[in-house]
Amino acid sequence: MNIRLADRIWQACLSSLQLDRYLMGELSEPGPAQVRAHLASCAQCNAVALGRKAAQAQPLPALRLVAEAAVIPRAVPPTASVSRPRRVTWSRAAAGLAALAAAASLFIVFRPAAAPEGSAEQAAERLGERSKGRGYQLSMYVQHGAEVRRAGPGDQIAAGDAVRFAVTTPSQAWVAVLSRDPRGHGSIYFPLGPRAELVPAGAEVPLRLGTRLDSTVGEELLAALFCSGPVELEPVRASLESGRAVIPKGCEVSQWSFVKR
Amino acid sequence: MNTPQSIAELYRSHGHIVLRRARTLLGTEHDAQEVLQEIFASLLRAPNTLRSAGAAVGWLYQATTHFCLNELRNRRTGARLLEARAAAALPELASGSAETLAEVRSLLAQLPADVAAAVVYFHLDGMTHAEVAELLGCSKRQVGYLLERARQSLERAEQML
Repeated sequence: MNIRLADRIWQACLSSLQLDRYLMGELSEPGPAQVRAHLASCAQCNAVALGRKAAQAQPLPALRLVAEAAVIPRAVPPTASVSRPRRVTWSRAAAGLAALAAAASLFIVFRPAAAPEGSAEQAAERLGERSKGRGYQLSMYVQHGAEVRRAGPGDQIAAGDAVRFAVTTPSQAWVAVLSRDPRGHGSIYFPLGPRAELVPAGAEVPLRLGTRLDSTVGEELLAALFCSGPVELEPVRASLESGRAVIPKGCEVSQWSFVKR
Repeated sequence: MNTPQSIAELYRSHGHIVLRRARTLLGTEHDAQEVLQEIFASLLRAPNTLRSAGAAVGWLYQATTHFCLNELRNRRTGARLLEARAAAALPELASGSAETLAEVRSLLAQLPADVAAAVVYFHLDGMTHAEVAELLGCSKRQVGYLLERARQSLERAEQML
């Protein structure tokens, strides 16, 4: 190693923190005046300050998580949007069927978590008696520019669009929304924490925060979990990524896919 | 109180600070962009962790340093990041800094979290002991102790080469 920690890698007189606090207006008097005086006499520090000002002027990529109000317009009556049929033309209907066919290829069989050997629960699973649940639904709203629309299975959505999810659940449930992207990468859209989050019963209940879609194009699977408890999500994400998705005990699944272009 | 809108505004005004620090600490543009998103996602999730908008710079320094050091120590990402040799074209750093930074990353990945953070603040950011103590929430004497531990670790690493 060539590092000599006796010598700093930092070369300016003023610290990085002090310069940033000055540039962002966080220094209290007489700090700003002292920094200004120093910058006027020190070429090294002045070059750093000018470089930072230039960097500040550069546009940043869009924030992936977006403010709540940006995606689901409060003016849209949620329950009305659930039941209202969408008007489609024949050409749109044909395109939609094609997209649905494509989306169907992404459908994943979620396997229940293994029950104890010999238990009644295991017997029920073998017999296929496990309920798939009714009334659980995942919805997604998409903001493209100034336009907000409700997306459905097979819809084409542009990379970079902001999306936000809403769920319909007949009783309160711990909810999570996961995905598997076109490259097979599993991720958790909601919540941000490691466990499913409690959502009250209702139709089209908006989930906190939105997400901006990344640039990976292709078909993406969405899966919403509705659980009786705050299940850990990392094992579910990993199983989704492996292609052998496992439902934690006490959970129901609603899944569909869209096409990102 | 920090609202999602005020955090989005903070992202636009202060995001470049996070991006610059992450580029320096991790060495790759892609990973730096991910850190930028993750830092502000964590703030949207827990907005009260930033108590005052007037203290945003210090909070962002702490959060970015913490996040990047975790990435360097992470088994999955650490090895890849330690291979990064991206040139850091930053006027504030010494000449030949790309190679030096690669070596610093390797060292940081092995140090305890508080020692590594002290090294970042003191050697890469040029902070005074008082500034390091403020961000670490400890005394100036403790900062001196942490930096001494880093120096000893480096000496041991060099003896093993």
